[in-house]
Amino acid sequence: MSKGSKSKLMRRCMIIMSIILLLGFGTVGFRLTQLTLVQGQELQQKAVDQQLTDTTINARRGTIYDTNGKVLAQSATVWMVVLSPINFENDEERTIVSKGLSEILGLDQESIFAKTKEKVYYSVVKRQIESDTRDKVLEFIKKIKEEYDISGVIDLLEDYKRYYPYNDFASAVIGFTGSDDQGLSGLEYEYNEELTGTPGRLVTATTGNGNGTEMPFQFEQKVDAIDGNSLVLTIDETIQHIMDKYLEQGNVENKVYNRSVGIMMDVHTGAILGQSVVSGYDLNNPFTLTDKNAIAQISELVGSEKEKAESEALSAQWRNKAISDTYYPGSVFKIMTAAMALEENKVNDKSTFNCTGSYTPVQGVPPIHCHNTLGHGTQTFAEAICNSCNPAFMQIGGSVGKTKFWEYFQAFGFNTTTGIDLPGEASGLFFNSDGSMTDLDLAIASFGQGVAVTPIQMVTAISAIANGGELLQPYVVKQVLDPDGNVVKSTDKIVKRKVVSKETCDKLSEILELNAKEGSAKNGYVAGYRVAGKTGTSEKKVDVNGDGNNDYIASFCGYAPADDPQVCLLVYFDAPLGDNYYGSGVAAPVFSQIMSEVMPYLSVSTQYTDEELEKMDTTANSYLGLSISEAESKVEADGYTCVVKGDGDTVAAQLPAASTRIPQGGTVVLYTSLEEVANGEVEVPNFSGMTLAEANMVAATYNLNISVQGVSGISDGVVLTQSTAAGEMVSPGTVITLNFTTSSNYGNNNVM
Amino acid sequence: MDLTHTNTKRRNRQSHHMPIERSQKLAATGKAAAEADALSSRRQRQTRDRNTAGKIRKLFRVGAGIDMPFLILVLVLLVCGVIMMFSASYPIAYYEQENSYFYLFRQGGFALVGVLVMFAMSYLNYEYLKKVSLLVLGAGFVALVAVFFFPSLTGVHRWIEFGLFNLQASEIMKFAIILFLAHWGAYQHKKTNTIKYGALPPLIIFVVTAVLLFFEPHYSGIVIIGILTALMVILYGGKIRWFVIIGSVLVGVVLILAVTGKLGYAMERMDGWGKALEYVDDEMWDQTFQTRNSLYAIGSGGLMGLGLGQSRQKYLYLPEPQNDFIFAIVCEELGLIGALVVLTLFGLLIWRGFVIAMRAKDRFGTLLAAGLTAQIGIQVVLNIFVITDWMPNTGISLPFFSYGGSSLIMILFQMGIILSISRTANMSKI
Repeated sequence: MSKGSKSKLMRRCMIIMSIILLLGFGTVGFRLTQLTLVQGQELQQKAVDQQLTDTTINARRGTIYDTNGKVLAQSATVWMVVLSPINFENDEERTIVSKGLSEILGLDQESIFAKTKEKVYYSVVKRQIESDTRDKVLEFIKKIKEEYDISGVIDLLEDYKRYYPYNDFASAVIGFTGSDDQGLSGLEYEYNEELTGTPGRLVTATTGNGNGTEMPFQFEQKVDAIDGNSLVLTIDETIQHIMDKYLEQGNVENKVYNRSVGIMMDVHTGAILGQSVVSGYDLNNPFTLTDKNAIAQISELVGSEKEKAESEALSAQWRNKAISDTYYPGSVFKIMTAAMALEENKVNDKSTFNCTGSYTPVQGVPPIHCHNTLGHGTQTFAEAICNSCNPAFMQIGGSVGKTKFWEYFQAFGFNTTTGIDLPGEASGLFFNSDGSMTDLDLAIASFGQGVAVTPIQMVTAISAIANGGELLQPYVVKQVLDPDGNVVKSTDKIVKRKVVSKETCDKLSEILELNAKEGSAKNGYVAGYRVAGKTGTSEKKVDVNGDGNNDYIASFCGYAPADDPQVCLLVYFDAPLGDNYYGSGVAAPVFSQIMSEVMPYLSVSTQYTDEELEKMDTTANSYLGLSISEAESKVEADGYTCVVKGDGDTVAAQLPAASTRIPQGGTVVLYTSLEEVANGEVEVPNFSGMTLAEANMVAATYNLNISVQGVSGISDGVVLTQSTAAGEMVSPGTVITLNFTTSSNYGNNNVM
Repeated sequence: MDLTHTNTKRRNRQSHHMPIERSQKLAATGKAAAEADALSSRRQRQTRDRNTAGKIRKLFRVGAGIDMPFLILVLVLLVCGVIMMFSASYPIAYYEQENSYFYLFRQGGFALVGVLVMFAMSYLNYEYLKKVSLLVLGAGFVALVAVFFFPSLTGVHRWIEFGLFNLQASEIMKFAIILFLAHWGAYQHKKTNTIKYGALPPLIIFVVTAVLLFFEPHYSGIVIIGILTALMVILYGGKIRWFVIIGSVLVGVVLILAVTGKLGYAMERMDGWGKALEYVDDEMWDQTFQTRNSLYAIGSGGLMGLGLGQSRQKYLYLPEPQNDFIFAIVCEELGLIGALVVLTLFGLLIWRGFVIAMRAKDRFGTLLAAGLTAQIGIQVVLNIFVITDWMPNTGISLPFFSYGGSSLIMILFQMGIILSISRTANMSKI
């Protein structure tokens, strides 16, 4: 080989080497630098995005309790089915899985198949499945693994489901949640943020095969879910049930077309003790229609009309009629007119009002009739209320005048929402939004026509009369508790303004009590509880059932006891289609039924008139001389608890003695010998500061009877004084009168 | 023997054989220490063949006789490669084989066999390879045809299955073409500038090979073999204009194939090329999955890397991280710095390989060593082009790093030949 060709070969080697090293490796080095240093962060971000699995840890939604801690709504653990669509290898797998899941979950196969096509790691198929369905899904996961070797595509995650143990109980207030655990109506909606809590996150580095296997890295970050806060309502389950029961009964008996409403308010605080819209709906199945009229109407429709009607019927079903719907209050509103007239000194005990059966408030318009077409004749102010006389009230309203009437209308809160903590509250409607009205308007407004108010506005305004003139802000949530049960927020009485004087209120209470005792409201009377109340029958100006007749709203609003009002109750039936549509015939009896159960439950002390006491057999019978067994069964038959002292066979003495007063359900102690009476004496315990329940329990252990006075029924009532001093020796069965007060008063006036 | 005026024994210069002018020229390129005289080596060989003492001396000088820098670079790259292969493969080995060491044990075994083969080859008188070059070429063609009789792996026929391991036919063919063209270039070196002797034989070989690879299909094989063939032709003195002509023809053929849709598989692969990060449609997104995850891995590494063993992309995100895409894991774990260190090692190896080539005692040795060294360089560059989305994703392994018995043993076998050439290059100067 020549040296020339050799050197050429060497040169070619050098060239090739240079090309490889400089050009090849140079570009490679450039490319790597570009990817790592220039695009590095962007690429790393994308890598991290796919490596990290972000799992949401659901927060448990808070519980809703009634005022005594009974659970009204609770979340329980269930499961949700999720797919990891990215892990499907082919359509065959997708078909197998979507078919299987659609059968188990009762979903459309097409829609599941569409989900399996998504390019994501996580897609929710169905939420809130219960344990039996979960077991089926687990079986299916196992089956596809064994038979088709498909894995890492279906996962079950913990989820929560809302349960309402009382079904349709207080449905309008509590509301319900949607499939994503979000509140859709009622308190669930209003307090959604509080109840929801904060979902947690679990960020983990997982392997690319998508079955959630974690990489062996310290690459995990967990943010715990913070469970939602719980609500304690002012609603008392017992009271609510009593209201529901009688309203439902009233609904059926009076063929009520548009449901009925009841609201009970603590007149001192504005706390809502019960709020019924009857018939309610099952909170566990809120999408099931309950209204028979609506179901009948819808069943006749087809297609889109049917869907539309269904959704309309559902929103009507969910609507909280007590705060979202307005109505003409009718005669109940006369209390307002009366209050205005009293406060403005337009009337007094000597005022008289003539009724000829009709009245012409404005010249040139046809006269307006009284319900008593014969006329009430000449009436005092009190008689005008008791007669519920429209002509009299047109005169009273006229004396107040349009300007004052509008001022009071506003002052009683009818032109604004009450601010109750429930969603969808409506405001009342006046004739003109600027407050102007005609003379005729004033005349009919005086007896509650032409002005539309919501039931909650009405009960709040009447409560203002009951509590001495303070307009309160009603509320249904008294406490918000954190997941550990600590009170994080509490609502107390919120006074909006003083509307009328105590004197006006006292005067009205007196008249309204009279009205309930012997006036137009006597159907609402409850023996022993000094009810003050007013009926209302108002024209709806709508013919709901198409029978050619106008339909009515029958209502009753009242409070008790008249001398020391505790609670105010409004019951209201929208379009009773039975024989009777008057407030006195439809609403008053229901008011009476509810109050007669609620008042004893609240342990409001009875104040029977002598006449009533005579009628009532609340004295102990004599059991002397009877054999012990015979006496025992007699005592129990009379409704008392029997305690026997001594081991003789016959009753030698008894406490309380025959013919003395004894509380219902009290204790009768029977002695077999007179010596036992002296021997068996017990020391009177100190009841001071005890709640009614505590006092009852203590009295029972001492075999003593207690008689209750004062505000024991309000949840925070405690014993202030006792009739027999602590430490005194008395015989078992002795009646000790306890005087209750609210705990705040107790703290201020601690006499012990 | 003259050892006194040189740096090392292997860098002995025989400057009296060399004109001053040329010596200076070589010195200017920085490679002054290396050169060989063909005449001298031929004389030496004859002497050695006839001299028992020479044979004994050769046996005695086993370690010293081969080029130590080259050997060390090979071993360092091999150790790095096996370590990185283990790091990249243990998650997939764990999840798919339920044994984290599955690939390590096998690759370790292949490496041991390969090193033995390399040392064995370093003793072989490479000139013997001249005699079998045509035979090896024939064997290469047989292997290329034989693959069609083995069941396809994911639709392609590239492998000949032996019980213990699979042999990629193109691996044999790459070596066969380098060997044959080295021999041909040396044998016909006076005529290699003619079309008949210089251009036609390699063209025919390449075309037949390309057609066979086309049907496997194994397009990256065609590319590598094409480049290698061209390099060999350039090395032995082919004319640049041949490449212009052949290049034009090739482009035409590819265009025709592309237009008639015969390039189905390749076109599919080409489709997603360079667009791994952008979503066009589902199909392409799926296709570029491996490349995309490779880019994620490289980008995640940044300058310093996540640390050895700390790759996340190897956790079943990057498919087959132990194979062609292993360098992405190297980048992720060792960062740009680590990647450049590995590239530098390869660069040094290539530099040293060419030094050996240029020091070889004969034209055949030069062509053979240069061709085999160039093959390493080309595979490194093309492999990284693939994993960085600069070339379609078509199975080019990274020498010493990628998992695979046949390619590792084949590479070490070839390294053995280079060592054998280095040995004789040195011998010629003794």
